[in-house]
Amino acid sequence: MQPVLISAAKPSTAAAASSCQTPFLTDAAKLIDSAKTFIFDCDGVIWKGDKLINGVPETLDMLRSMGKKLVFVTNNSTKSRKQYGKKFESLGLDVTEEEIFASSFAAAAYLKSINFPSDKKVYVVGEAGIQLELKQAGISYIGGPEDGDKKIDLAPGRFMEHDQDVGAVVVGFDRNINYYKLQYATLCVRENPGCLFIATNCDAVTHLTDAQEWAGGGAMVGAIKGSTKKEPLVVGKPSTFMMDYLASEFKISKSEICMVGDRLDTDILFGQNGGCKTLLVLSGVTTLETLQSPDNSIQPDAYTNQISDLLSAKKVASA
Amino acid sequence: MSSAMASVQLNGTSTGTPAAAAPFLTDAMKLINSVKTFIFDCDGVIWKGDKLIDGVPETLDMLHAMGKRLVFVTNNSTKSRKQYAKKFDSLGLNVAEEEIFPSSFAAAAYLKSVNFPSNKKVYVVGEGGIQLELTQAGISHIGGPEDGDKKIELAPGQIMDHDHHVGAVVVGFDRFFNYYKLQYATLCLRENPGCLFIATNCDAITYLTYAQEWAGGGAMVGALKATTNKEPVVVGKPSTFLMDYLASEFQINKSEICMVGDRLDTDILFGQNGSCRTLLVLSGVTSLDALQSPENSIQPDAYINQLSDLLSAKKSASA
Repeated sequence: MQPVLISAAKPSTAAAASSCQTPFLTDAAKLIDSAKTFIFDCDGVIWKGDKLINGVPETLDMLRSMGKKLVFVTNNSTKSRKQYGKKFESLGLDVTEEEIFASSFAAAAYLKSINFPSDKKVYVVGEAGIQLELKQAGISYIGGPEDGDKKIDLAPGRFMEHDQDVGAVVVGFDRNINYYKLQYATLCVRENPGCLFIATNCDAVTHLTDAQEWAGGGAMVGAIKGSTKKEPLVVGKPSTFMMDYLASEFKISKSEICMVGDRLDTDILFGQNGGCKTLLVLSGVTTLETLQSPDNSIQPDAYTNQISDLLSAKKVASA
Repeated sequence: MSSAMASVQLNGTSTGTPAAAAPFLTDAMKLINSVKTFIFDCDGVIWKGDKLIDGVPETLDMLHAMGKRLVFVTNNSTKSRKQYAKKFDSLGLNVAEEEIFPSSFAAAAYLKSVNFPSNKKVYVVGEGGIQLELTQAGISHIGGPEDGDKKIELAPGQIMDHDHHVGAVVVGFDRFFNYYKLQYATLCLRENPGCLFIATNCDAITYLTYAQEWAGGGAMVGALKATTNKEPVVVGKPSTFLMDYLASEFQINKSEICMVGDRLDTDILFGQNGSCRTLLVLSGVTSLDALQSPENSIQPDAYINQLSDLLSAKKSASA
């Protein structure tokens, strides 16, 4: 894993004063011609909660008909690739499992890439998506939502046992977080020699329901950083693990990729870390105000309102 | 009482040149004569779990007889001052409530020092001790262990309501930590203008039972740092808030204080941050190995095995 930028450096005042503002995308055809592959974030780009954003099916169809490869990368680890495949299908989109890269998949793929020993287990602080992907990869695991109801009784001399064969703790968004799991994960990381600490993502907030922001996977990761004083290996955006993985998997040159997302500190930074082109959409969590704010130091190559704006390329072509 | 928090070291310095190794204390009388006040950590110094460490009553009596002021400072926020006084009492030690400063008390004292408005409330991510101290200080609060059983429904469009009168979130060790509380605190900090983020302490681990290490308050604080991208005001050790508070309260000169504790990164750093003398005891969590390890950059002025080693002063006095 190459060390990567997890947060953008704050520009100096002088640089901030002269930094170019991201332009609105006026020539969609030009952007499309310059990239062979489009990587899309899902939430806020393809759908919002369980509702498809309008114009998405036609846009994806257009790009496919123009010979572009489409890939979908999401930090949401609650579902597996298979489960996301079903979600795309239920929204009428023709996307195969192999085109989807959730951070749950990334965690399992990472462990396979380092030849995680078959006699070791993973302790899961997260939800079913992670468990399903580990199972799919043939990796043993314990923990997960089932530990959400466990409590500890703190009688004098009380000792919590933990499995010495846990060789990695995988931490992601977890609605069933509790002290039992925090303590179990802490013991594994602190006491099992060489135990890995892997984070699916460090998102501060997530949009479980589109009504408001909800504490994200970053909270669970932050808790275990707090109790172990260790930095995790992050497999989700903005770490380039998934970018490197799919570039290798599909033999794609990163400079010919355009990353399309709605979040600056995950999607756009992911694209920039990977040396790709980046396009921000305003159909998700980032507003134009936030993009143009002096506090923001992450500038994509261009921005547009939503991905169906790319359909203007079709109009140009048929003009 | 100034509300300004002195900027303090929260971690030991890691300079290229290691600090001189702390010597074993050979002249207890000299140390005792050089100070007017002793501040003691509790766990690992006075007691271990619910057992008094031997020789403690005689040592405290000796120091009292020599005209020293004795004060007790603990990062454990699960009990209030009153509850700690009962614990001292049950162990046969004559210590007044006013001599005890747990981090639960510190949180309430801090809020009073900044004139926390009476129409505002605190949301508590922590246990009974914090709630009792807030009540004692006349500060309204919600949350606490009672929210430990609450769960969230995640139906589409679901919104979690939160009280807009919450003007501060106080976070400490919390065995009842769960997603509901994490999310409630996150909403308060992100959406209530000027909402304060206060941490009783950031201890990575704590010794709930002496059988092993347990994930500490640092885990709960770490979770909320991640969801809010904010740094908390830390009122417990090693921050000097409690040191400044009691120096002002008792009109004590900090250079005439000796801080006695068993943890380098909280107790000893606390003493150093406050420019006091520091004495490490090995009757708690720090071993001689850990003190003398090349990875340790925090060196107290001296160390002893346990508090009752100070009784050698009595022997030398009568020699």
